[in-house]
Amino acid sequence: MNQTPPRRVPWQLPRQQQQGQHQTQSQNAVSDELASAFAYPPLEGFNDEVYEDNGEQRDHWQYVLDSLETLGAEALTDRQQKASRILRDDGATYNLSATPGNRQTWSLDPVPLLIESEEWNGIESSLVERSELFDLVLQDIYGPRDLIRHGVIPPELIFSHAGFLRQCHGIKIPGEQQLILHNVDMVRDTDGQMCVIGDRTQAPSGAGYALENRTVMSRVLPSLFRDSHVHRLSLFFQALRLKLAALCPGDDIPHVVVLTPGAYSETYFEHTLLANYLGYPLVQGADLTVRGGQVWMKTLDGLKRVDVILRRLDDYFCDTVELRSDSQLGVPGLLDVVRCGQVVVANPLGSGVLEHPALLKYLPAIGKHFLGREPQLRSVETYWCGEDSDRQYVLDHFDEMIIKTTFRRSGDHSIFGSELSAEEKQDWMRRIETKPLNFVGQRYHLPSTAPNWSQQGLVSRPLVLRSFAVANSSSYTIMPGGLTRVGTGDNKMIISSQLGSTSKDTWVLASEPEKQVSLNRDNGLVVGSGADQGMHLPSRVAENLFWMGRYAERADASLRLLRTVFMQLNSIEPLSVSARDTLLYAVTQVSTTYPGFIGGTGPITLAIDKELLSVILDETRPGTVASNIQAMLVSSEEVKEMLSADTQRVLNDLRDALADLDGALRLGLTSAPEEALDPLVTTLLALAGLSHESLVRGTGWRFLEMGRTLEKSYQMTSLLQSTLVSDQSESDLATVLESVLLTFEMLVSYRRRYRSGVEITSSLQLLMIDKANPRSLLFQLTALKEHIDNLPDTSHALGMNPQGRCLLEAMTAVQLADLHEMGVCDQTSGSRVKLEQVLGKVQKLLGRTATLISDKYFDHRIEHQQLVPDRWEDE
Amino acid sequence: MLYRIKHVTHYQYDQPVTLCYNHAHLMPRDTYYQRCMESHINIKPYPISIHERTDYFGNKVCYFSLESKHSSLDISVDSRVCLDNERVDLGVDLDIGNTCRQALEKLRTSIDEEVFLAREFILCSPMIKPSDELRDYAAPFFQDNVSLLSAARELTRHIYNDFTYDPNSTTVATPLKEVLEKRRGVCQDFAHLAIGCLRSLGFPARYVSGYLETLPPPGTEKLAGSDASHAWFAVYSPGEGWFEFDPTNNNVPGDQHITTAWGRDYSDVTPVRGVIFEGGDSQVLTVSVDVQRLES
Repeated sequence: MNQTPPRRVPWQLPRQQQQGQHQTQSQNAVSDELASAFAYPPLEGFNDEVYEDNGEQRDHWQYVLDSLETLGAEALTDRQQKASRILRDDGATYNLSATPGNRQTWSLDPVPLLIESEEWNGIESSLVERSELFDLVLQDIYGPRDLIRHGVIPPELIFSHAGFLRQCHGIKIPGEQQLILHNVDMVRDTDGQMCVIGDRTQAPSGAGYALENRTVMSRVLPSLFRDSHVHRLSLFFQALRLKLAALCPGDDIPHVVVLTPGAYSETYFEHTLLANYLGYPLVQGADLTVRGGQVWMKTLDGLKRVDVILRRLDDYFCDTVELRSDSQLGVPGLLDVVRCGQVVVANPLGSGVLEHPALLKYLPAIGKHFLGREPQLRSVETYWCGEDSDRQYVLDHFDEMIIKTTFRRSGDHSIFGSELSAEEKQDWMRRIETKPLNFVGQRYHLPSTAPNWSQQGLVSRPLVLRSFAVANSSSYTIMPGGLTRVGTGDNKMIISSQLGSTSKDTWVLASEPEKQVSLNRDNGLVVGSGADQGMHLPSRVAENLFWMGRYAERADASLRLLRTVFMQLNSIEPLSVSARDTLLYAVTQVSTTYPGFIGGTGPITLAIDKELLSVILDETRPGTVASNIQAMLVSSEEVKEMLSADTQRVLNDLRDALADLDGALRLGLTSAPEEALDPLVTTLLALAGLSHESLVRGTGWRFLEMGRTLEKSYQMTSLLQSTLVSDQSESDLATVLESVLLTFEMLVSYRRRYRSGVEITSSLQLLMIDKANPRSLLFQLTALKEHIDNLPDTSHALGMNPQGRCLLEAMTAVQLADLHEMGVCDQTSGSRVKLEQVLGKVQKLLGRTATLISDKYFDHRIEHQQLVPDRWEDE
Repeated sequence: MLYRIKHVTHYQYDQPVTLCYNHAHLMPRDTYYQRCMESHINIKPYPISIHERTDYFGNKVCYFSLESKHSSLDISVDSRVCLDNERVDLGVDLDIGNTCRQALEKLRTSIDEEVFLAREFILCSPMIKPSDELRDYAAPFFQDNVSLLSAARELTRHIYNDFTYDPNSTTVATPLKEVLEKRRGVCQDFAHLAIGCLRSLGFPARYVSGYLETLPPPGTEKLAGSDASHAWFAVYSPGEGWFEFDPTNNNVPGDQHITTAWGRDYSDVTPVRGVIFEGGDSQVLTVSVDVQRLES
């Protein structure tokens, strides 16, 4: 994997020099430390990847371990930290649950797992055989069912499995194989042979994480990686792209999409990574629709036909018409389109049945039936409780067993018989007795161990290797290596990403350097750019970018005003009560945190500090800074695949800044609270700058900018309205004007330009109609108009589009407004009537523009319901 | 025996529906005793796509979708079905054949593929979960040495006697447990009940949906639309095949039972299932069925 995506700016890696410095400082002391840190003696009773049976270190480990030792403990820890930083910047997470905050950065150990080329060849061919066999099983289950008819497997095994979807009977996808992707989890048995502990077939995950691991490793340990001649991963992904293209029978380039359950699915990061790497749009169920017997993607430009869906959504959720009726994640009517051959879903719907762990027990027999021989790759000894004798065996040997349910649901974990209390054991045994068909017992295999880097040095940890197979025109291509997952403690026998384990890059060592293959140069296939799909951008993505821009500006506007208010409240010259109240009133108006400071009569009596704190920090209250930033982050998650690594980094900073702010302000507002807000203001600025500097000027960018400019314009009108419309004393007006200018950081330029005291007409000139001032209302309206005009319009309507017209009217209103008239206060009403009229008009027009944009471009999701409400499916 | 069956389903929505996807099990299948001569489905408003296929159980399914606004949906099916007269004359003697014990033994040991495939119908299904209560209810009829079919006949009789037909007591989603406790229900509940009993005892049983020819009281005209769809069950006896019983009417289906579809339970053969977009909070469903005997 040499083609690190260009969006990433390489980190400055510590060079030889730095290490030299470090070594000269305390060379002797360190070398002792090093010796102990890198000592990795064989552990009695464990089968370690580094050692032969006789205790000799394997040759291929020697080089890597020596190199790491030369690098030194401190440097290695440093590299490890760099790796986690890159992972965090890439947004590499594993979501533990469906709550936004519960994300865990993917964890990578800097010591790779090494496999020799020769051994790998053997593993690879047995994996190919296994995938071919699983494919035959899949074809049989949804076809002739010979395995059942001939008594090779008990009928109940399939018939009772929730993954067996009768609705999918008889469906065939083009090509030799039905099974497109197949993941296999293996451990090394005590005799050194690989042993399969499970298969993943419905929406198999992990290949993207393996890719990310490789990318990061090649960056943090570049020379070691280069010198080790590691087999590259790109061929696997190339094979995947070729296969997906081949699934569409037509001549045209097929439209492939990656279907994700959404931003809060466990492996969402991987979905975004794969979509970008493979160059396919990432869609959610609601981005697709079935019309006229075909599947379409809802784009800005209307519906676009979809030919192939690489799904990461479980079978069950894919179609509410025929499958699970309470799911809103899928595409209603999808299965019937699949059945008619108008779209191909990979892996095919129904393939989840192959994950039935009891199939492992029958694989030798299945192998004999289909191939005339038992498969080479062995599987873990499995006892299916649906067979009387097996059930008895499981119950009798409970302490030696791992108990698994036959149908994996989210949150299900394997149970270790030996780790249960007597009571729990009884409970499990009872569950097994009641529903024996739903359980298997598997004999626990002590996994092999490999060195893992920890603060103390190398420690040995158990590991599971997940391998990846993808169908090619006649058989299967196996990713060299795969994803190695490592248990986190010595006694942790379960290795599961859900339970928080770390991972390793897996290096299959070639005897000589491989020729490089880049995904982007394969067989003339056009690579769609994930970054700019033009009008083919899914509507949801455009909508989220639009809102990302809006929320960012809302947070920004409130933050800036609050900063000013804090400064004025704490200024040396005391603030008059009326001026203070005008500013506080503006805080509520601009942030829309009603009722806030509005509502009372007379001077504000509300606890000011408390309310201001709440306007900043209260995430649950709409309009607060925290809630706007949260909403912005949520929108950004939905468009993760569109964002650069830099943007991801800024978003991370924003998360951190928000958390820090909470810490800094919770104690009270005593010392310079405005300074505590600075990091957030700066980070938001950085985000805006990035959008300007590093986003491709595509349609997506326009939507982000439209959101920004729309909101900036609106915020300006809102601030002016709440501060300047009402009449006030001359000194108050001066304070308020100064505050407004300060809020927009224009006080200095005002003074430079007018060289006089702050005065309303010239302030309005600067704030509203100065075309040279990027913060002025007219500047923002003009920018918004430009974005709207530059959106590709395929409606072919004559003349200006309605949203453009709306804006032109707003711009004209601002330009025609007489500054002096606006500055004059009407004596009878006690307010600046003209100013109020102009601002009110602009606000109304902006509101209408937003609605028009939304109506024209965004998909208004409608939840669907069952024609006949049915609740009986809940098993 | 030739029948003409008209089955009209009408949905009236609160608010217009903008999009809907449906599949219907409304067209009679062929069976050993029955041939569907023709079956037309007519949908109003006219659907944008419509096609038929055969499902996993061999039933006919019609898929259709509508993509324009509509406030009501009409699905009319007009079928002509020919029933084999032999079925009535067959006069199966329920006392011969597998005893219950033999049946269980054969289910376990037979390597006949028909038996392997029938074992699917012993398992739980979405709406039918075998239970101790169901087993206890039926166990007395299924003594080891009694023939399976006569035991099933006995179960049918008992359900007929013990349970009250009451259309207001249950809905499509009423759990079996409740039906057993209340001792009331409709044909669908009774079929489910019998299937639950059989499966709890280890016998394969399936759900059959269809129609029953009803005759007006002597001297009166038959009212249009007065028939209804009906449901009963079938039990599998290893090596002998599937045998049907009607617990709602306490009889063995003969020349008045017309089969539409079968499956593990009602959920496999729901007459119309689908998803609608919008349509408001409520919908009114009206169904009318006419079963007309064309020739004997």
